[in-house]
Amino acid sequence: MVRSALKSKRRIGEGPVAAAAYVPAASVVFASLLASLPIISNNGWFPDFAFLILIGWRLLRSDPFPAWWAAPLGFWNDLVTGTPIGFSVTVWTAALVALDLGDRRTLFHDYWVEWALAVLLVLTSEWAQLQVAAWMGAALPFFTLLPPVLISAASFPLFAFIIARLDHWRLGRQ
Amino acid sequence: MLAPPRPGWSRRAQYGVFFSFIAALVGLAIGLVMLALSIAAPHAFRNVRGVGIDLMAPISGGLSQIAATVSGLVGGAGNYWDSANQNGALKRQRDAMARQLMLARTIQLENRELKAALQLRERTGDAIATGRLVSSSFQSPRRFAVLSVGRSDGVAVGMPVRSAEGLIGRVLDSGSQASRVLLVSDRANIVPARLLRTGQAVISQGRGDGSVDLKPLEVGRNPFRRGDIVVTSGTGGLYPPLVPLARVIRLADDGAVAVPVADPGSTSFALVQPAYEPQASAAAPAAQAAP
Repeated sequence: MVRSALKSKRRIGEGPVAAAAYVPAASVVFASLLASLPIISNNGWFPDFAFLILIGWRLLRSDPFPAWWAAPLGFWNDLVTGTPIGFSVTVWTAALVALDLGDRRTLFHDYWVEWALAVLLVLTSEWAQLQVAAWMGAALPFFTLLPPVLISAASFPLFAFIIARLDHWRLGRQ
Repeated sequence: MLAPPRPGWSRRAQYGVFFSFIAALVGLAIGLVMLALSIAAPHAFRNVRGVGIDLMAPISGGLSQIAATVSGLVGGAGNYWDSANQNGALKRQRDAMARQLMLARTIQLENRELKAALQLRERTGDAIATGRLVSSSFQSPRRFAVLSVGRSDGVAVGMPVRSAEGLIGRVLDSGSQASRVLLVSDRANIVPARLLRTGQAVISQGRGDGSVDLKPLEVGRNPFRRGDIVVTSGTGGLYPPLVPLARVIRLADDGAVAVPVADPGSTSFALVQPAYEPQASAAAPAAQAAP
């Protein structure tokens, strides 16, 4: 009984896909490119796809990418989405460092904790974006960040699902 | 306290985690420096941002063509529905417009004669380039759009952008093939304007949600009424005068809330015009920094 439970179910030819270690980072790069969708919106309520994918990976696993990879990934995001250069570099790296430090104190991690952490990080990121916009001459009232944060919070499970499927695919699990 | 947990007794793994942590802190510091530079000196990354726009605009352009085709097929099919009634309504509308056009022609003639009498010279802003709005900042509290023409078409930072309906905004960054437009509804976009009905000077400032705040320049009674049209005044020299700007939808206690006449979402073509007074485009970044 024990022996059969421990036996690997993997068949010959199955296993991690090529460059499986780079799939998480590549998915973040791709999510940044989604900013090129031809959506002309009157408000900026869409979730920040790349940031949700980034923290989704990091919340699912502790080792999708080293924390410092957030800096080049964030630079790419700044370049293609038009946020002030340096914004995503700072916020993304800070988010990953904060999660690394937080992992030392966390005793357990279930899905609700992940969701709460994701909402907290998105709220911080949106607030930082509002603050930077205020410094650049576009001061908006605080409540304007509520709709995008709520939409991001509601869509995080979808992103987490996509990431979980990607993770299964890249590691060759069934 | 601050260092990450040790991954075990392997010296190599310990160093790996430690250096990764140091690298993250270095990345954070570099990010902060770049962000400070972006805020304090928006010119600093102008070329880098231009490259970013050039990277993205072709993708957006292709995707927006596909989206336009699909929505055109759906909309085209919808137009056949109830076409007899539509035809009648359009004919009535056309007759009404023809009468108004006649009136407008006589006013135009009168206007031309009056201007000739006053020796006024018109600085007509011929369009420098015509492009399509292919994308927008749908993830950000700022309101930007990506326009499919850039430096190689003669577009420069600070030039006003309009459509046939009205003012859209001004060029903020330009790549060689595409540029980013600061929309009228962005909080940092302040447009000097006039109330078309009375000619009173007002100021328009975006609200970040597709509408604008209107404030009269002179303190006093609220001059706005629902449905009022506001046009640019040309003050400041950045935007040409008499371009339709916004329509009042709601009165506020010291002004009004209005929606831009030109909706970027339904604009097919946008014209880039030269700055109304050329020296104004040099002063544009300063106006942007003002709250």
